[in-house]
Amino acid sequence: MSTLQSIPVVATKAEKPSGGTGNLLANVFDELTAFCRSRSLFMLHYCTGCGAIELPPAMTSRFDMERLGIQPMVTPRQADILLVTGYVSTKTLKRIILTYEQMNSPKYVIGICSCTVNGGMYWQSYATAKVLADYMPVDMYIAGCMPRPEAVISGLRELMANIRAGRSDNWRDYYRRYDHYLGNQQRLFGENWQTPTDVIGEARHYGQFGPETLGEHTALLERHQTPLLPFEMRLGLGGEKTGVENKGDKR
Amino acid sequence: MRPENYQSVSQPPSNEFELFYGPNHPGIEGNYALKVRVHGDEVTSARADGGYLHRGFEKLMEGRLWIQNIALVPRICVPDPVPMEVCYSLAVEELGGIEVPLRAQWIRVMQLELSRIAAHLFFFGGHAATTGMYTPMFWGITDRDLILDLFEELSGGRVYHIYNIPGGVRRDLPPGYLERVSKTLDYLESRLPDYDNLLFTNKVFVHRATGIGAMTQEQALEWGVTGPNLRATGLAFDVRRDDPYLVYDQLDFDIPVEAAGDAWARSLVRRSELKESLRILRQVVAKLPHIGGAIRAPIPNPLAWNLPAGDVYTRVESSKGELAYYVVSNGGDKPYRVHVRGPSAMHAVQVLEHLATGARIEDVAQIMFSLDACPPEVDR
Ligand code: SF4
Repeated sequence: MSTLQSIPVVATKAEKPSGGTGNLLANVFDELTAFCRSRSLFMLHYCTGCGAIELPPAMTSRFDMERLGIQPMVTPRQADILLVTGYVSTKTLKRIILTYEQMNSPKYVIGICSCTVNGGMYWQSYATAKVLADYMPVDMYIAGCMPRPEAVISGLRELMANIRAGRSDNWRDYYRRYDHYLGNQQRLFGENWQTPTDVIGEARHYGQFGPETLGEHTALLERHQTPLLPFEMRLGLGGEKTGVENKGDKR
Repeated sequence: MRPENYQSVSQPPSNEFELFYGPNHPGIEGNYALKVRVHGDEVTSARADGGYLHRGFEKLMEGRLWIQNIALVPRICVPDPVPMEVCYSLAVEELGGIEVPLRAQWIRVMQLELSRIAAHLFFFGGHAATTGMYTPMFWGITDRDLILDLFEELSGGRVYHIYNIPGGVRRDLPPGYLERVSKTLDYLESRLPDYDNLLFTNKVFVHRATGIGAMTQEQALEWGVTGPNLRATGLAFDVRRDDPYLVYDQLDFDIPVEAAGDAWARSLVRRSELKESLRILRQVVAKLPHIGGAIRAPIPNPLAWNLPAGDVYTRVESSKGELAYYVVSNGGDKPYRVHVRGPSAMHAVQVLEHLATGARIEDVAQIMFSLDACPPEVDR
């Protein structure tokens, strides 16, 4: 049942960013940003599963998503939406997490297809990850096997409405409960799993650092990191031995 | 990990780079990757890196009933799912000794050819897009949607239509369906000159595709190439004609062949195949009203259906090449072993690796798309 509860059917309510002080100018500005954001969504061009076959019809002449201001984008750095189109195998999931962490906030995740909800027809497969929401916060699910282009478009429109109303802010959840997500990732990939992104630092930067950001799993993260060498050593300037050996390229 | 924790490893100065080409890359077909080594813009070596779409089909199928697997098989190749259903059904029918009614066979041929047209239209779009021409992509995908509409009317599903089951097909054609098929065929036929103008006689495309990813017939045979890619090297081999299944031996069609073996030839072969498929469909539409009878042979209760022990190997011609199923039964209600021989597994691994080596980095996408490999079927 815990999985059922972790599916964010209704996205969490946004707090007023300005602390609810009623600063009129700030409110107007927020409204404006939300409006602009909802009208220019770039979605990442990453086809992860069979649901991706309904995206070309949705994007091209017949259903034409571009009229809603939604366009495919090739780099994660410039994308707003991560569409997870179907089952994710373990190997793909690593790439998806990397991609998700590279995207700039605010970012939204849409799980297309039943397979992202609960494993779909691969519920007994040894190779796929079943519940996407265990590994990253999902803003919206579009269920179906596979959902029609109309369903995809209506889901995206709902996301636009949510963004406009300030209801879609699950990306904050990744920073606030990073320990939980990292724990699930470690359970799947092994405890020395880590990504090149400094999520904890980003959480501080965005002001999302909370009591659940750090925990036992992030402690594990620290343990498996290559210890930091002094700056001079990395440049090859200081001759002092620090007792830490360069483990080489960990990638 | 914090970025500053990465230790840089000093390398000797070199012009060689290793690039990860995919999986998140617009020049790759689906969720697939290549590791390419480039020297300047010339690829010195390429390694296929699959497994992103692995779901363990062959294992999953061992755990489900004969009839349940019908829902699973179309997922193996997403752009062209009908041959998967038909090939699996043929295998089960052969194991169980079931005679499929004639009408069902003709309906299956119609489905197979419609699916082939849809896959080829998709291919035109994809191949043209890798040469920088996006209009054919919009056209191809939109025209393909007309065929998906026909599928939807027949089976309720646009892409996956669990329509062919062991014993026949699930339901009969709706009234007026054949007229609508003919109308779509008329429309597609009227579009062919447009495609020629836009793509196949377009200087940009011809120059860009000629000589790219060329292979000889010997190489093709050695690497296990089948289907349109093999016919583009000059060998007229087609399972539909050389090992006929269903009612293909009663149909009149040609096998288009090109000699050059490059991306351009592969694309021309598919263009001619599209025409042949239209021709086959015309014959089917003319013939189907005169074939009455059942659409499904009676099968025992599918939930307690034990097939006699034995093994069969059935093959069909999909739009990507020769597709085959090796099914073993030990007399139980589930397959003992199913092996899928997919054409793309050869095209996207060894062929792509060989053809990409020595090519230029901007041509790798075109080579991949011109081989028309289907990543979910490579990984299965
Ligand atoms: S829900 Fe169906 S269409 Fe979507 S990824 Fe899963 S099997 Fe494929």
